Amino acid sequence: MSDWEPKIVSFLCNWCSYGAADLTGVSRMQYPPNIRIVRIPCTGRMSPKFALAALREGADAVWVSG
Amino acid sequence: MEYAQAVPLKYAIDPDECIYLQKGKCGNCKDVCPADAIDYEQKEIKKTLNVGSIILSSGFTPFDPSKFDNYQYAMYPNVVTSMEFERILSASGPTHGHVLTRPKSSKKKDAENVKAPKKIAWLQCVGSRDMNRCDNAHCSSVCCMYAIKEAVIAKEHVGDDLDCTIFFMDMRTHGKDFERYYDAAREKHGIRFERSRIHTITEVPGTNDLSVRYANEKGELRNEVFDMIVLSIGLESSKQNIALANKLGLDLTPQNFCKTSTFEPVATSREGIFVCGAFQGPKDIPQSVVDASAAADAAGAILAQARNTLTRSPEVVPETNVIGERPRIGVFVCRCGSNIAGIVDVVAVAEYASKLPYVEFSTDNLYACSQDTQDNMVQLIKEKNLNRIVVAACTPKTHEPLFQETLLNSGLNKYLFEMANIRNHDSWVHKNNPELATNKAKDLVRSAVSKVALAAPLAEAELEVNQTAMVIGGGISGITTAKSLAMQGFHTHLIERSGQLGGQALNLYHTASNEDVQEKLSAMIQDIEQNKKITIHLNTELSSVEGFVGNFKTTLSSKRKKKVLEHGVAVIATGAVPFQPNEYCFGQDSRIITSLDLDKKFMDNDPILQDLVNAVFIQCVGSREPDHPYCSRVCCTHSVHNALELKKRNPKMNVYILYRDIRTYGEREILYKEARAAGVIFIRYSVNQKPGVVLSDGKILVTATDHVLDRPVEIEADLLTLASSIIPYKDEKLAKFFKVPMNDDGFFVERHAKLGPSEFATAGVFLCGLAHYPKPIDESIAQGQAAASRSVTLLSQKTIHTSGTVAKVNPAICSSCGVCLSICPYSAPSFLDAKARMFRGKAQINPVLCKGCGLCVASCRSGALHLQGFDNDQIFSQIFALSEAG
Amino acid sequence: MLAYINKIKEISDRLLKEQKVDLIIGFRKGTIPMMNEPCFVKTSSDVKNLVWDSNCGINLANYLTNRKEKIGVIAKGCDSRNIVTHIIENKISREQLVIIGVPCKGMIDRRKVAAAADCEVTEVLEQADVIVVKGPGIEKTIKKADVLQDNCAICIHRNPVINDEMVAGPVEEQKGVDRYEDVRKVEAMSPEEKWNYFEELLSPCIRCYACRNACPLCYCPTCFVDESKPQWVGKTLDTIDTRTFHFLRAYHCAGRCTDCGSCTRACPMGIDVRAFTKKLEKDALELFGWEAGMSVDERPTLDTFKPDDPDKFIK
Repeated sequence: MSDWEPKIVSFLCNWCSYGAADLTGVSRMQYPPNIRIVRIPCTGRMSPKFALAALREGADAVWVSG
Repeated sequence: MEYAQAVPLKYAIDPDECIYLQKGKCGNCKDVCPADAIDYEQKEIKKTLNVGSIILSSGFTPFDPSKFDNYQYAMYPNVVTSMEFERILSASGPTHGHVLTRPKSSKKKDAENVKAPKKIAWLQCVGSRDMNRCDNAHCSSVCCMYAIKEAVIAKEHVGDDLDCTIFFMDMRTHGKDFERYYDAAREKHGIRFERSRIHTITEVPGTNDLSVRYANEKGELRNEVFDMIVLSIGLESSKQNIALANKLGLDLTPQNFCKTSTFEPVATSREGIFVCGAFQGPKDIPQSVVDASAAADAAGAILAQARNTLTRSPEVVPETNVIGERPRIGVFVCRCGSNIAGIVDVVAVAEYASKLPYVEFSTDNLYACSQDTQDNMVQLIKEKNLNRIVVAACTPKTHEPLFQETLLNSGLNKYLFEMANIRNHDSWVHKNNPELATNKAKDLVRSAVSKVALAAPLAEAELEVNQTAMVIGGGISGITTAKSLAMQGFHTHLIERSGQLGGQALNLYHTASNEDVQEKLSAMIQDIEQNKKITIHLNTELSSVEGFVGNFKTTLSSKRKKKVLEHGVAVIATGAVPFQPNEYCFGQDSRIITSLDLDKKFMDNDPILQDLVNAVFIQCVGSREPDHPYCSRVCCTHSVHNALELKKRNPKMNVYILYRDIRTYGEREILYKEARAAGVIFIRYSVNQKPGVVLSDGKILVTATDHVLDRPVEIEADLLTLASSIIPYKDEKLAKFFKVPMNDDGFFVERHAKLGPSEFATAGVFLCGLAHYPKPIDESIAQGQAAASRSVTLLSQKTIHTSGTVAKVNPAICSSCGVCLSICPYSAPSFLDAKARMFRGKAQINPVLCKGCGLCVASCRSGALHLQGFDNDQIFSQIFALSEAG
Repeated sequence: MLAYINKIKEISDRLLKEQKVDLIIGFRKGTIPMMNEPCFVKTSSDVKNLVWDSNCGINLANYLTNRKEKIGVIAKGCDSRNIVTHIIENKISREQLVIIGVPCKGMIDRRKVAAAADCEVTEVLEQADVIVVKGPGIEKTIKKADVLQDNCAICIHRNPVINDEMVAGPVEEQKGVDRYEDVRKVEAMSPEEKWNYFEELLSPCIRCYACRNACPLCYCPTCFVDESKPQWVGKTLDTIDTRTFHFLRAYHCAGRCTDCGSCTRACPMGIDVRAFTKKLEKDALELFGWEAGMSVDERPTLDTFKPDDPDKFIK
């Protein structure tokens, strides 16, 4: 199982974290490619239902940032 | 590119370093650029612009401490400037936000000596309040606050055991909520504040640690070693600023800042040229933003006639109705030259996309954003009858508006669009993993396709803006706002609860720069009374407010009648009141007075002032204490100025100022210097050991502990002036009317402490003057102008367009619980009233006020709220799409 | 507590006669022992049906939702707090209500009584601090304190927080009660233990939604479990769906739950549904100093924002 990689679904606020993820790209910082970003207009939009849905659909972790 | 946040985010060639431009060889960049964007022939072009006004916002230059040999900034690696420390704290800085000491050189041996510091000191007033070693007599205004901030953040980054010490002379946290921050830094974060000016920094032999020797407040000598010392460098005018001023023929202050006056705080000495920001004087972000708006207002006022004379309207393509059509999605995968295609297999992604449900067409483009691709996209949308578009490219943050424009040009509603971020979030960050990056790109495209399939065309409501303004409060800031709005061409109603305009300014004698307040104020009042565009309502209060941005309906009530006023914007300039002291025997002797009482005596030329032997001022009466835990900002300057005035009237008079920290920020510091030179005696006290005042045998005896001698002193005061604080009205009713928040102290809370100081989060409502926070006349006037300027951004449009991505209620499912009304920061939800035909008492969203954040949607237990463009089923479909095997 | 009934009847009769209310919501005797049922009394002649004893655990606030009449409602401490929440959340207006406050010493748990009796219970007689349980051929006296509902045993708001009439003077509030012993136990578990604990806890659930229906907070016109676009939760007995239902329902009650125990009381499978809501009730108290339904002037803590709200969890 040592080559196991988690699947991470992240919900990022359009105004800060999504922009920060953009900036990470602009700065060419490198990170593992097992994260998938869903853009939300504000973390206020984040519903526990989204987290539960992502987990039940097979995500190993959910990351909310904003 | 100087930094990653540059706008526009485009590279430029540095001609001094370019081998081609210097030597005519190389030219590599031109060969590899697939967009053919390199042009070596570009030359500096001189352009002549015909303008009606000029605004100078050329800023400041940070003081260069390398000339101070006693700090050895240039030699010791661990002596850094505050600007450098900001970079050390920054995630995009040289150490990625890890606080580390600096290597002596780039040699390996030195680099290995880098460590996480355990002790950091900040030295305040480096290049400020210093006439000995440099010529900067002024206070730089911002350094105390940024030093505290840096110390707090450093502790956050390193951990609680980091020892942070700030060496200071006077702690100047005079801004809104700054005093609280200072208190928290001291008490919650454990930052040490040491009142001492450090003379010399030396390196501990054999290390790069730094040793300082200083006398603490009790006069005891101390030696202390720090891993790092941050010099809190001041702000000064750059050589370029001085040259610019000379070229334009502008007057400068002795400190080389642009000269302005209290009553025209952004006007330079030359008509039509305005100034804002730190070129006008050292100041923090909120004040710079206020100034900027004020300068825009001043320029706008003289150019009001020319408004909209150079604008052109774009051609509008009629929108195709796609409702009811099966989704026909077009996917455009951008190569971005090699930015994406160099890592991600773009052809495979486009091929993959073509097989996704509802996708009719997919292709890859060299640059999706180039003009020819855009034109081609319009053609393809029409030809293939596409009704939803996905562009897989850079990032929606920069390019969504561009592609939405393309949709509009092809007759599609702009919300039938989605971007997949396969550059910034993919190819750029996974360059060593092309295969997984390609998989990720497919996932992101699949997710975008599944979302856009559920997209619906959204309408942007259009709303007419009533071109009238209402200003509440006829003090100096309200008067300024009314005048500015009228000059910009808008009819303005000025509401004043008392029978007289002028507000607190009526109680003031002279400004800090010796202008006669009453003379200027009556001129201002006369000015607006004669202005035909201004209607003044005295003895009038608000009894109700309905409506929202662009369409307010306010009921005014005065003694005789009620009147309904329709207006497009509202400016709250309701001011504040002086605190009536409840200590120091106030009220028990007519010679114990407040600062405003003293001003009155000056105005009346009260003969008592001539014969005083001892005049005493006590500062911070009702400020910086648990009941009013904020600094009232103006009192230090006021007392220092009044002390000078007393000295001027009778140079033999003994004048004492009992203070905690003298906060004569900016160029007001010169006044403090003058006062000391004139012989005013400053005695510091601490809040735990306040001065004593007793009345005995008709004498006022003031006792305090002299901070230099550490001995008690007793002064028999002939006049005791209490510098009492400024307290807000706490006008709950007004706050409720306009649905605007108040802080714990009772001052109104602006949209953003730094970036939106003169407006509320609620659209169409603006703020200025003391209702925002205590401030002197120049700042009140600047904010009055700023509030006008912000209002004009709305009033100058005949109509406002709302965004399509706003919340919407399904009233059948709404349970009327009111959570949305309670949590919305923008007051967009309300209940349908009793007049509604159906769904009475259910929630509704005003799309004009809604900012589309989705807070209400996520909080709605009943699931009655939907965020259009980010609806539940869309986000779910994204989640589901992501889980499918790539 | 048994003496309350005379006063309840007296007040109810008066309110109806004076036409201050259109109806009284109270309890009448149920068809089986220990199962008093809510009833609507609309005429003074029906007042005689009203009862009061330790079997009145159902939360009557639940019966006020969206009613239009003027109502006299009998309210224990917990009911009164839910009435407050109902008023805040526009489920009924204060003006419609005459709240008849009942100081409460706790309701008995019929399952505990049945277990103690260890046979079919045919009759239960209540005295001051004991109850006498009768079954085929047996008679047993049990201390009331031993068979209280779990939530009543740890209740610290026995007296109504809002009322118009009181049937008696206030009872002494319980002091020094450890309200969250059970929650702490779960909190201390490892993720695996927690998983197993909740798996075990929910395994009997048949998704009948009795807990939801008994809860005064669950008044949405369409519950999320019944929505189809999007379908938040599947309708099967799949453990994921069941878990989702209970988790989300608990979240919907966060900062609003008064721990009245109606959910646990209603569950036909004997699941301790409070295990979910109590954790969030504890968090609301510890993080925001919030107890639900204590004042009509303040909205539930999660509906509001204060600058000093804790934010440690963000890091």
